[in-house]
Amino acid sequence: MLTTLAAPRALLALVALALLLALAPALPGGGARADAATPAPSPGVSAPTDVEGETITVRVRTADREDVPGAEVTATGAGVDPVSGTTDDGGAVELVVPGTGTYEVTLDVDSLTGPAAGLLPRENPVQRSVASGSANPVIFQLSEDGGASASAGGVSAGQVAQLVANGLRYGLIIALAAIGLSLVFGTTGLTNFAHGELITFGAIATYFLNVGAGVPFLLAAPLAVVLGGVAGYANDRLLWRPLRRRGTGLVAMMIVSIGLALLLRYLFLYVFGGSTQTYAEYQGQRGLDLGLFTLRPIDLISMAVAAVVLVAVGLVLVRTRLGKATRAVSDNPALAAASGIDVNRVILVVWVAGAALAALSGVLLGLAQQVQYQMGFQILLLVFAAVTLGGLGTAFGAMVGALFIGVFLEVSTLVIPTELRNVGALLVLILVLLVRPQGILGRASRIG
Amino acid sequence: MSASSTTTGDRSAHVAAAEGAVLRADELVAGYLPGVDILNGCDLHVQPGELVAIIGPNGAGKSTLLKAMFGLVKIRKGTVRLGDDDITGMGADKLVRRGVGFVPQTNNVFPSLTIAENLEMGLYQAPKRFSQRFEAVVDLFPTLGKRRNQRAGSLSGGERQMVAMGRALMMEPRVLLLDEPSAGLSPALQDEVFIRTRQINRTGVSVVMVEQNARRCLQICDRGYVLDQGRNAYSGSGRELAQDPKVIQLYLGTLATS
Repeated sequence: MLTTLAAPRALLALVALALLLALAPALPGGGARADAATPAPSPGVSAPTDVEGETITVRVRTADREDVPGAEVTATGAGVDPVSGTTDDGGAVELVVPGTGTYEVTLDVDSLTGPAAGLLPRENPVQRSVASGSANPVIFQLSEDGGASASAGGVSAGQVAQLVANGLRYGLIIALAAIGLSLVFGTTGLTNFAHGELITFGAIATYFLNVGAGVPFLLAAPLAVVLGGVAGYANDRLLWRPLRRRGTGLVAMMIVSIGLALLLRYLFLYVFGGSTQTYAEYQGQRGLDLGLFTLRPIDLISMAVAAVVLVAVGLVLVRTRLGKATRAVSDNPALAAASGIDVNRVILVVWVAGAALAALSGVLLGLAQQVQYQMGFQILLLVFAAVTLGGLGTAFGAMVGALFIGVFLEVSTLVIPTELRNVGALLVLILVLLVRPQGILGRASRIG
Repeated sequence: MSASSTTTGDRSAHVAAAEGAVLRADELVAGYLPGVDILNGCDLHVQPGELVAIIGPNGAGKSTLLKAMFGLVKIRKGTVRLGDDDITGMGADKLVRRGVGFVPQTNNVFPSLTIAENLEMGLYQAPKRFSQRFEAVVDLFPTLGKRRNQRAGSLSGGERQMVAMGRALMMEPRVLLLDEPSAGLSPALQDEVFIRTRQINRTGVSVVMVEQNARRCLQICDRGYVLDQGRNAYSGSGRELAQDPKVIQLYLGTLATS
């Protein structure tokens, strides 16, 4: 195993690094942040473009997640009159501004009363690019010394718990995508750069069914997962199996996958457009205060669905005949064939299941963030990192690696700037691989 | 009279003797790269219950002949028949269903699967017979039963060879093809492999084995083929080949005469 995988492993590491260099400027600072994927705002305050009213939802709360009522906030944009409001008992206020564009939202700290008096927001004013049809959230988080607390070592247990919760949510989404990538790599040796597009496909399919065709989200999501499985079937039957039959080399197939990824990404851009969209339901849902941290009900449900699916996949791989055959093909395809296993059929099943899982990952990513034509591409590097970190070709490793990456990404923002967190995660990947070259769960096999 | 015979150009002995064979190959031409033939018209047959050895110098095409019969090397000319059926170029999973087992020389276990799972994969096409077949294989290799939950990747070379043979026996094959089962093993373990192979053969399984350890192999086999440059050079019973002066001189070395 070690000998046969050494070359692809080195190659994958090289490619991942190259991709990192190419991507670093393009990666959004906050992958899991709701506003991460909005179209690039122009620097400074630009003029709002149209005359229809848009809403900015402002929330004011303390670092301990106490809502702050009675706080005065003002949104100002170039060429329009300032819009002011006062937060309600839930600490929220909706400011209706004339149109989309970039606004500056200012909190009047003198208006803070009661326990919030004297506290300072982390950032004030906040610049917000206002998109159409979105809740456009702006949150002022108050603490005794404003933004200094987070970076000066005064980290509260609540902050850490919140970041761990966010990280688990993100990690579970990455894990769903990572399993498919890992299984395809294990059974065929293919490093599939078009896997990110399978993620995007799930989200876009859900969007079109949900927003376009009016199908309820709870029906649109499973339909999109099924469509993802169909896409996986088509992938293998129409492209990868013919290439395997012709004995195409692994590097050549990897290049083909990069081409396919580009093709699909721009097809999505053509069909879906370059803007950022949301599903019709579950937007602007308020978070549930769960003691140490706050999550929206839909996030809790997403995490539960992801966890149940991951456990189910794990059980299938360990317990069932097909799961064992999948591991056998990963270990040694030639011997699997000599044992009477129909290797091509196992690979087809892996493609269907892996693509369906990637689609589910995209559906949930669309809920956690928003839907955008290159959302899958943007987390692909993290998926690769998860797969490599866990141990190439081992599905359980991919799950562990993904959870690790997700939590690490979020928690690391306590000490490093949010913009650098992807880099931090990849540095950890390099460090772990220096110590355990086979990955966290990968096993070094004896040779001979 | 010596039964050893050069077969170049004269296939009549083979054709006559191959009547009723469980597996036979006729005039096989095969190779890996376009335009480069490794086999240049090989003949082979194995009768029910027979243990047949293929020996010869490095590069003679021994393993290629075995792999070609199992559909792993593209056959350019010639036929392979299992009983009366033409199985030329048939895929490995179909051959397993028809009763042909194959044990590769290297990478012959699934390292991340346990011993029991390895054996289970050998019976992939007939999972219901697992408990019955598992017992039969453990009778032959008691170690496998005791360590059934150990990962095959952690086993030594000799233990892996037993797992590999056990896996191939799970489907109760009519013919078992062994590619250099003693390669890389200590002399004591090599002996054990030969004894096991003979045991397996005595249960009624026809065996074709490729071997580097020609002298030891000829002692246990019923019949042997000596291959040279992709052709049949000599064939005969194990004892005849081991005593044939030409075979000794060319392939066994002078010590064999003592």
